Amino acid sequence: MTDDRSSPGQKALGHGGLALVLALVLIPYVYVIVTAFKPAEEIYDATWLPQRISFDAWIEVFEVNRFHLYLWNSLVAGAGSAALAILIAVPGAYIFARKEFRFREPFFYMIVGTLIFPFILLIVPITITWIRIGLFDTFIGLWLAFQIFAVPYSMWILRGYFAGLPKNLEEAAMVYGCTQFQAFYRVMLPLAKPVIVSVLFLAFLQGWSDFLFSNMLTTGDGPRTASVAIYASTAGGERVDWQVLMVMTLLTGVPPVVLYMLAQKHLAKTFAAT
Amino acid sequence: MKRSEERWLIILFLAPTTLFMLLLLWAPFLQGMWMSLHRWPFMGEPVWLGLRNYTDFLGAAYFWDAIEATLIYSLSTLFQLAVALVAALALRQPFVRFKALWRGIMIISYAMPPVVVGAIWLFLLDPGLGMITHYLMAFGIIEQPIYWFAENTWAKWMITLVASWTFWPFMFLIILSALQAIPQSRYELAEIYGANLWQRFVVVTLPAIRNAILVVVILRLAFNLAKIEQPFTLTGGGPGYETSVLSILMYRFAFMSGDFGMAFTVGMFLVVMTAALILPFAWLFQRQVGRA
Amino acid sequence: MHGTASGIEVRNLRKTFGGGTVVACDDVNLDIGSGELLVLLGPSGCGKTTTLRCIAGLENPDNDDAIWVRGRNMTRLAPRDRNLAFVFQDTALFPNLTVRRNISFGLDMRGKLSRAEIEARVTEAARLLRIEGLLDRYPRQLSGGQGQRVGLGRAIVMEPDAFLLDEPLAALDAALRVEMRTEIKLIQRKLATTMIFVTHDQEEALTIGDKIAVMKDGRVQQVDSPQDIYRRPSNLFVATFIGSPPINQFRCELRQEGGEVRLVSPIFTLSLPAELARRFAAADRGLILGLRPEFVEIGREAGGIEGVVRLTELLGSRTLVLVDAGGTEIRVLVQGEPGVREGDRVRLVLQLARGFYFDLDGRSLL
Repeated sequence: MTDDRSSPGQKALGHGGLALVLALVLIPYVYVIVTAFKPAEEIYDATWLPQRISFDAWIEVFEVNRFHLYLWNSLVAGAGSAALAILIAVPGAYIFARKEFRFREPFFYMIVGTLIFPFILLIVPITITWIRIGLFDTFIGLWLAFQIFAVPYSMWILRGYFAGLPKNLEEAAMVYGCTQFQAFYRVMLPLAKPVIVSVLFLAFLQGWSDFLFSNMLTTGDGPRTASVAIYASTAGGERVDWQVLMVMTLLTGVPPVVLYMLAQKHLAKTFAAT
Repeated sequence: MKRSEERWLIILFLAPTTLFMLLLLWAPFLQGMWMSLHRWPFMGEPVWLGLRNYTDFLGAAYFWDAIEATLIYSLSTLFQLAVALVAALALRQPFVRFKALWRGIMIISYAMPPVVVGAIWLFLLDPGLGMITHYLMAFGIIEQPIYWFAENTWAKWMITLVASWTFWPFMFLIILSALQAIPQSRYELAEIYGANLWQRFVVVTLPAIRNAILVVVILRLAFNLAKIEQPFTLTGGGPGYETSVLSILMYRFAFMSGDFGMAFTVGMFLVVMTAALILPFAWLFQRQVGRA
Repeated sequence: MHGTASGIEVRNLRKTFGGGTVVACDDVNLDIGSGELLVLLGPSGCGKTTTLRCIAGLENPDNDDAIWVRGRNMTRLAPRDRNLAFVFQDTALFPNLTVRRNISFGLDMRGKLSRAEIEARVTEAARLLRIEGLLDRYPRQLSGGQGQRVGLGRAIVMEPDAFLLDEPLAALDAALRVEMRTEIKLIQRKLATTMIFVTHDQEEALTIGDKIAVMKDGRVQQVDSPQDIYRRPSNLFVATFIGSPPINQFRCELRQEGGEVRLVSPIFTLSLPAELARRFAAADRGLILGLRPEFVEIGREAGGIEGVVRLTELLGSRTLVLVDAGGTEIRVLVQGEPGVREGDRVRLVLQLARGFYFDLDGRSLL
């Protein structure tokens, strides 16, 4: 036991608050999971323990809805976007963090300022432009569009990390034989590896989760992502197949949750440094 | 004065960032402003309108519906803050065990794609077979199913609640890390001087997390107004324009009516409204930081 | 012709920041002979580190011909092309490399030596620095002193034209600092390589330097051997900055009275020794007398300056006695036991022949 002198009142408050929040979060998810495994005839009973476990909805999702294709699209969209975001944000963030030049601060804030700028309004012109230059309904079009939310965020995190590294490292590298670029490539980049992994991870999840851009920029024939497919399934009104929909939500929603849980420690550690 | 080698590195490394800023932020934004001066269909020729889109929107019957919906929807920021504070404070207590597990569970809804969470609530709140309706009727709270997303009074509050339920963990994580940065000795000091539980909260905890709270409120206000996956899934902006938060209205004009000029016009109002809502908090934050 | 053939020369170095608004180095001139150990000493913000960084190429001087090494103008060369090794205050070791790779980093980058030769040099340097056992560790596993040894190792293997050390011991605790400075001096003697050592610690400077350059406000105040810096400070600043406990200062008037030259202050009137009196201009004038605490004696007999002992501080083999003489605090350094206690009335005798004399602008009159 830890040496804890908290009063009974404080304990009751703490445990009560915790239990309340946990119940609020968990009950809906448990019900969704139960629903996904219910046989079709039980869907109208709000039971928590189905008579038998049924995989019908799961089979239907893959065989009829071909949902794995949408999941694949989400994967490609997210991964490509994350890779591109790193290519743009790492060099930029490095310069913003560790080099002096004129208009550095305004320049930087013009980019990360878009974090609170309602960037979704850029969907409008981008859709028109993508149609005109042939990026509509392509992965490349999605990757580029996703940068609008991926880059400012990544840049913010990466700059914080680079700025926190010991300040003489590049100078030491340069005294001992490195060019400016080698100092970055041989010393700073290896040091930033953990935070780059974190940023890749977050940018990937942003891409995986996106709906507004994907919905606007793809059609049923193109790289339509899982989020868009789920939206399309909810639009059926009275004919929505709820069990199939719940299976889809689990398939799309669980991977990021699992990734988050696995990455939690790593994320906390790298962001503690920024 | 700078050596040319360093200058070249700066130019080279900033090139992707600059291209990004010009081509993906500024060009679309300016293009959008230009578009908002036209009737600009999805396909076909744009027609010059001047400021007609703006005056039309200001004069439209749904203008005030949209503003009201936006204001109510922005209240989700407040609900998120309440839940986040309770959760963060509970998880900060020394006697709570398995903290990592609870924290992991708490961020589930934030980790999930918003559309997924939207679809889940669409199901839970379904008037025919949703769990919520079922229990409300079973306990006799309501007598017949409520069409949450189709009734004027309910719809805008329901989308606000769902948004609160989804996005509070963002605030929770930041507030929690601010709480964890408070040295235990400050609580001990307050205790030595006889502060009770509430006084310790007011004197030690609150000042230490005030900045974090302001930051998350600013960020979430901005994010919430643009995070419309769920209302779009749940109500599509209806019934009528009851839940047409500005950003949904914008999306409706673009995605459903294909009226891109009008869509961006609404987007401009969204920018102004976001700024107006954020400004007081940004001012408070500035003052806080200035004082420190 | 600029530059001595084998050493480092700094000529009229000027370095400003913020578009000329902040002057860090103002007309700095230094001449460091081959194999010499020069200490750059001064309070923080005096420009000593900036001077060193200009020599290393980490800062770009305002003038084009400020830095000469072995007779070559290096002012605009990249740091890597100067063959100078730099040791940083915070070590600046590469956290992702082992100690071994940290030490060999410069040689690896240069790529001229074979693997075996590099390993041999690393081993040699590690032995010299007594860190053979640490070669496979990472920097985070080292103590402060060990880290600084590795930093030195990284410099030594380069066999550079000079070592540039920027306050290498500032972050270490007192005992370690004393040990390391001796060691650094021994290594420098052994390798016979030119070294420039920046510090704000006057005691460190006195113990380690062949020559000391005292800086203030971006300007060099005096360059001399440690003995001369201590015994013949060229101005009041150098006199007060060097020596611990610090010098006593007395603002005085010089007066011709009868056949004597008298030194008059609010608390004393003393006759100046004849040879000193002859050196100062005859006219009445103000001056500042600086006297090290060891040149004040506590007397018992009549005469001298009356005062009351306020405090005694034991400094090991010596004792510092603080005496209040009519509102002026005088520091007296006594060998061994002071023989007085707090509250005692004492009479102080000033050894005027060993004093420093400055005009009111702080320039030495000697």
